[in-house]
Amino acid sequence: MNVESATVTTDDVRAREERERAILERTWASPPGLWGWLTTTNHKSIARRYIITAFIFFLLGGIEAAVIRLQLSRPENRILGPDLYDQFFSMHGTTMMFLFAVPIMEALGLYFVPLMIGTRNVALPRLNAFGYYVYLIGGVMIYVAFILNIGVDTGWFSYVPLSGPQYSPGKRVDFWAQMITFTEIAAIVGGIEIIVTAFKQRVPGMSLNRIPIYVWAMIITSFMVLFAMPAVMLSSSMLATDRLISTHFFNPAEGGDPMLWQHLFWFFGHPEVYIIFIPATGLVSTMLPSFTRRPTFGYLALVLSLVATGFIGFGLWVHHMFATDVPQLGQSFFTAASMMIAIPSGIQIFCWLASLWSGKVRFATPMLFILGFIALFVLGGLTGVMLAAVPLDLQVHDTFFVVAHFHYVLIGGAVFPLFGAFYYWFPKWTGRMLSERVGKWNFWLLFIGFNLTFFPMHQLGLQGMPRRVYTYQEGTGWANLNALASIGAVIIATSVVIFIANVLWSCRNGLAAGNNPWESDTLEWDTQSPPPPYNFVFPPTVNSRTPMWTRTADTPVVTGLRSECREVLLTNPLDAEPDRRYEMPGPSIWPLMLALGVGVTFIVVIFTPWGIPIGGTLCAIALIGWFWSGNRPEPNLPGQTREPLEDEL
Amino acid sequence: MKERPGLDVSQLPLHGYSSRAPLWWGNLLMIVTEATMFAIVIGSYFYISKSFSAWPPRPIPDPDLLLPTINLIVMIVSLAPEIAVHLLAVRGGSQRSIQIGLVVSSMFLIAAVTLRFFEFNALKVKWDANAYGSIAWAALSLHLGHLIAATGETFVLTAWVFTHRLDEKHRLDLSVTAIYWYFVVVAWAVLYPIIYLSPRAW
Amino acid sequence: MSHPIKPRLNVAALRILIAAACLSLASCGGNHSALNPAGPQSERIGNLWWLLFTVSVIVFVLVVAFMLYGAYRSRRRNNAATDENAERRMARAVSIAVAVTVVTLFGLLVASVLTGRAISPPPSGDFLTIKITGHQWWWEVEYEDPVASQRVTTANEIHIPTGQTVMLKLTSHDVIHSFWVPSLHGKKDLIPDHEIITTIQADAPGTFRGQCAEFCGHQHAHMAFFIIAEPPDQFQAWLENQRKPSVQPADQLQARGQQVFLTKSCVLCHTIQGTPAGAHVGPNLTHVASRQTIAAGTIPFAHDSLARWVVDSQSVKPGNRMPQNMLSPEELQALLAYLESLK
Repeated sequence: MNVESATVTTDDVRAREERERAILERTWASPPGLWGWLTTTNHKSIARRYIITAFIFFLLGGIEAAVIRLQLSRPENRILGPDLYDQFFSMHGTTMMFLFAVPIMEALGLYFVPLMIGTRNVALPRLNAFGYYVYLIGGVMIYVAFILNIGVDTGWFSYVPLSGPQYSPGKRVDFWAQMITFTEIAAIVGGIEIIVTAFKQRVPGMSLNRIPIYVWAMIITSFMVLFAMPAVMLSSSMLATDRLISTHFFNPAEGGDPMLWQHLFWFFGHPEVYIIFIPATGLVSTMLPSFTRRPTFGYLALVLSLVATGFIGFGLWVHHMFATDVPQLGQSFFTAASMMIAIPSGIQIFCWLASLWSGKVRFATPMLFILGFIALFVLGGLTGVMLAAVPLDLQVHDTFFVVAHFHYVLIGGAVFPLFGAFYYWFPKWTGRMLSERVGKWNFWLLFIGFNLTFFPMHQLGLQGMPRRVYTYQEGTGWANLNALASIGAVIIATSVVIFIANVLWSCRNGLAAGNNPWESDTLEWDTQSPPPPYNFVFPPTVNSRTPMWTRTADTPVVTGLRSECREVLLTNPLDAEPDRRYEMPGPSIWPLMLALGVGVTFIVVIFTPWGIPIGGTLCAIALIGWFWSGNRPEPNLPGQTREPLEDEL
Repeated sequence: MKERPGLDVSQLPLHGYSSRAPLWWGNLLMIVTEATMFAIVIGSYFYISKSFSAWPPRPIPDPDLLLPTINLIVMIVSLAPEIAVHLLAVRGGSQRSIQIGLVVSSMFLIAAVTLRFFEFNALKVKWDANAYGSIAWAALSLHLGHLIAATGETFVLTAWVFTHRLDEKHRLDLSVTAIYWYFVVVAWAVLYPIIYLSPRAW
Repeated sequence: MSHPIKPRLNVAALRILIAAACLSLASCGGNHSALNPAGPQSERIGNLWWLLFTVSVIVFVLVVAFMLYGAYRSRRRNNAATDENAERRMARAVSIAVAVTVVTLFGLLVASVLTGRAISPPPSGDFLTIKITGHQWWWEVEYEDPVASQRVTTANEIHIPTGQTVMLKLTSHDVIHSFWVPSLHGKKDLIPDHEIITTIQADAPGTFRGQCAEFCGHQHAHMAFFIIAEPPDQFQAWLENQRKPSVQPADQLQARGQQVFLTKSCVLCHTIQGTPAGAHVGPNLTHVASRQTIAAGTIPFAHDSLARWVVDSQSVKPGNRMPQNMLSPEELQALLAYLESLK
C-alpha cells in the first residue's frame, strides 16, 4: 500500500478531532422519533434491541422453568395438567435454545465485534436490521400462540411421529416449526454479518494472529451457524409440509422414516450446543486479561481449540440417538468423537488455569462468574464424557441426569460467562458501573441456587426419573430431591431479580465508568462509554494482541475516511492491510418491510397455501424497494479509480 | 488521541471486486449455507430411498427425461450470457453491451423457470403419494426457489441498467448476481443426475 | 389438599392406594435404580459408572483446587508473572495436563467399548423372546411361540424366568417410546416400523419397575411397567395359565358382567380370549385379574380403583385413550365382578 504516515501536531489533532466529531455526529445519526427507531441500521442500536429482547425471552423461559419446578416439587401435584405442563416444558426449551441462547450470543457479537476490530458498523447494516426483525416476529408469534393456549407441546426437539399430523392435530406444532425458520434465518443473517465484518473491516495491524479471541470465537460460531442451521430449517419445513400438505417425509406408512428427523435435528442440535458454548468461552478468554493483568495464556492453543471444537462439533450428533437402532460400529465412532471433543475443552481450561496461576487476580464480579463458570463447566463436561459412553448413556439418556448435565453446560458454561460479560460490558453500554456489592450477591445466590437445583438431578436420573414427566408417583423415592431442586429454583429466581434491580438502579446511580474502567486490553475500550454511533472518531490501529496495553504515542490512528458519508475502511482478510474505502448505506425502512413480508408468508402458510403467493409478492416488493432505495447513482468522486482485473472471477 | 500519527487512507480507491467487496463475501457465505441445504436434501433423498426396495417405488414409473434435460441444457447455455455480463461489468464494458447481455440472460432465466413448472409433471408422482414423491418435489421446489430468486434479481438489475447510468456499485451487483447464478446452475447440475438418472440406475 | 370437594378427595385416596401398590411391589426406589443392578447387563454398566464417577471426582477436585489455589496465591503478587521462563514452565505444565487428559480419555473409551460389547445382545441363541409394542400410554407384551395358539398376549407386566437371557423385540404402534428398566439394563427406543432387539436378565427373583423414557405425549408420566422375575418353574406355571382362554363366568353376577362387557363399548377396544371380544386397541384383558396394576402401573388392580378407571378414567390419567363409560351402578358392579374373576 502506498499510504503515507504524516505526523500531526497536538493542535491540529484537537481541532481536527472536534471538526470530525461534529461531522460524524451528523452523518451517522439516525432520523429522529419512531421513524428513526424503525429504520436504524446502527449495529449497536440493533444489537441492544437484540440483547434486551433475548433477555426478556430468558425471563419468560425462566418463569416457565419456575412453573415446572413448582409442579414437580411434590409427587402427584395437580397444579398443571399434562396438557399445560407439556406446553410449559416445550416452551421453556424452545425459548431458551432458539429465542435466548443463540440470539443473545450473536447479539453480543453484533455489538462488540465491530468495536473490537475498530470499525464503524457491521458490513451489511440493512441485512443486520432485517435479521433482528425476523427474529422478533418469530418469537412474538410463538408466544402469542402460547398465550392462546396453542403453544407447542411436543418438546424442543419435537420428535416425529408425535409431532406429526396424526398425533398432534391442530396448529400447535405448525407455529413451532415456523418459529424455527424465523430464528434460523435471523441466526444465519447474524452469522454472515459477523464473518464479513471480521474478515474485511479489521483495523490496520490486526492481522489474523492479533484478532481478539472473542472475535475468533464469534467467527467460528458463525461458520457453525451457516452449516448447522440449514439442517433444522429444512427438517422443520419438512415437518410443516407433512402436517399441512400431506407429504410423507416422516410417515413410516408411506416410506418416510421418523429417524430422518432425528438425524437432521441433531445434525443441527449438537452443533447448536457449541454455537452457544464457543462464544461463552470467547467471553471468558477475553475478560480474563482484565482480571489477571496479563494476556490470556496460550492464544494459539485457545484459537485452535475453538477451531477444533467447531469441526468435531459436527461429528457428534448420533450420541443423542444411542438408544435407537444405530449400528454398533457407528456408535463407537461417535463415542470416540464425543470424548475427543473433551480435549479442546480441556486445553482451554488448562490455559485459563495457567492465566490464573501466573496472573494478578482481581476478584471483581465478572471474575467471580468466570471462576464459577470453570467449576460448573468442568462438572458438566465430566458428565458429558459419561454420556458419551454408550452403555452409561443407555441408562441415563432422557432422564434427569441429562437434564442436570446440559444445565451444567448451558447455564454453567454459557449463562455464567454471560452474566460476567453483563457486569464487564455494562459500563461500555451505559457509561455506568453495575454495583459490585450487589453483583457479589447476584453471583453467590446464582451459584448456590444453581447447584441446589441441578446437582440433585444427577441422582434423580440414576434413580430412574425420566425427563418430561408432568408428575411422578408417590413411593418412587423422588420426592425429596425434587423438593430440594424446587427450593434451589427459588434462589435462582431471587438472584435474577437482584440482577435486574442492579441494572435498573445502576443505570441511573452507578459510578461513572469512563472509557476503560477495567483497564482492559481490547479496542472497544478505546472509545467513549457508551460509544457514539460512529464508534471511533479516528479508528485506531493496533500493534499487538493487547492493543490498549501496548500502544504508544507512535501508534497511528486512521485518518482520511470521509466523514460526510458513512465510510469505513476495508482491509484484507489476512494481514488487515488497508485496501479500500467503502460507503455504507444509511437508515432504511425496507429491512422491516421485508421482515414483515417474510412474517406474512410463514404465518399465513400455516392456515392456507395462499401464504406463498401473497407473502412472496410482499417480499418481492420489499426487496425491490430495498434495492432501489439504497442505490442512488454515484457522482464521480475524486479518488475513485477503476481497479482492473487481476483478481476477477 | 494526542499527537498520534495518522495513517492516511484518503487515497484508497472506493470500489473493488471479488474478495475485496463485502457484498461478494456476503454472497459467498449465502451460497455456502444454501449449498449445505442442497447437500442435506440430497442426503435425505438417499436416506429415504433406503426404506424402499425399488426406487422409484412401483408402480411409479421412472421420471421423464426429455423436459428436464432440455432445462439442464438451457441452464448450462445460459452461463454464456451470464459470464459475458460478469466480465463486461467488471472490465468496464459499455452500458449498451451489458444491457444486451442482461436481456439475453433474462430470456434464458424465464425459459428455465417456465420449464421447471412443467418438470414437476415429468416426475410422474405427486408430493403426497409417498415419501419418494415428497423428497423429489422438495428437491425441485428448493431449486425452483433459487431459480426464481436469481431471476428476480436479474430482472431488477436489468430494469436498473436501462434506467440509470451504470456505476461501479452496480457493476459489483452485476458480478455478484452472476456468481449466484453460477451457483444455481451448479446446484442443478448436481441435482439433475440424482433426481432423474439415479432412479434409472437402481 | 383439604378441600371438601369430591374429586380432590378421590385424588388423595388414590394417592394412598398407589403408594400401597408400590409398597406391595417391593419398595419402588430400590427396584427402579441404575445404582441397584439386578442383572448382568446393569451390573456391567454399574461398574462403568463407578469407574467414570471416580475419575470425574478426581478430575473435578484437581481442577477446582488448582483454580482456587492459583487465584489465591496471586494475592501476594503485585503484578502478573509473565517472564519468559515462567511462561515456558506453564506451557510445559499445560502440555502435561493435556497429555494426561488424552490418555485418560483413551482409557475411558476402551472401558466404554468393552462394556458395550459385553452388554450387546448375543448374535443368536435359543432365548425366550418377548415382543413389546409401545402404545400411547401402555405396553403390549407378546410371548412369542412357533405355535400360534401358544402365544400369550398381556400388558404392562412382564414375567421372566430368573437366570435366563430374555430377548426383547421392541417396536411401537404409534409414536416413539423407550423401554427402560434401570435395575436390569439401559433403555432402548420403540420406534414405529423399526424393530430393536435387546436382552435382559434378572439374577434373582424380584419385581423391577420400568418407565417409558421417551416423551410420548400427555401421559408419558404414567407409562410404567413391571418386570416380575420368578424362578423358572414358577414362570412356566404362570405362562401355562396365561395360555388358557379366559375363565367362564362362575355365577350370575359375573355372567351379567360378561354381558355388559360384550354389549357396551368395552368390546370395541379389548380382547378377552374365549369370548367374542377380539379388538386390539387397548390392552388384552384375558387374564387381567392376574395383574397387580392397571393403566400402565398407575393404579392398583383393586375394586375401587378399577371402578373409577372404568367409569372415569380421564380423572385418573387425563388424556388417555379410554372413553368415559356410562354404566348404571348395577352394570358396573357386575362388570367389576367379571373382570376380577379373570385370573
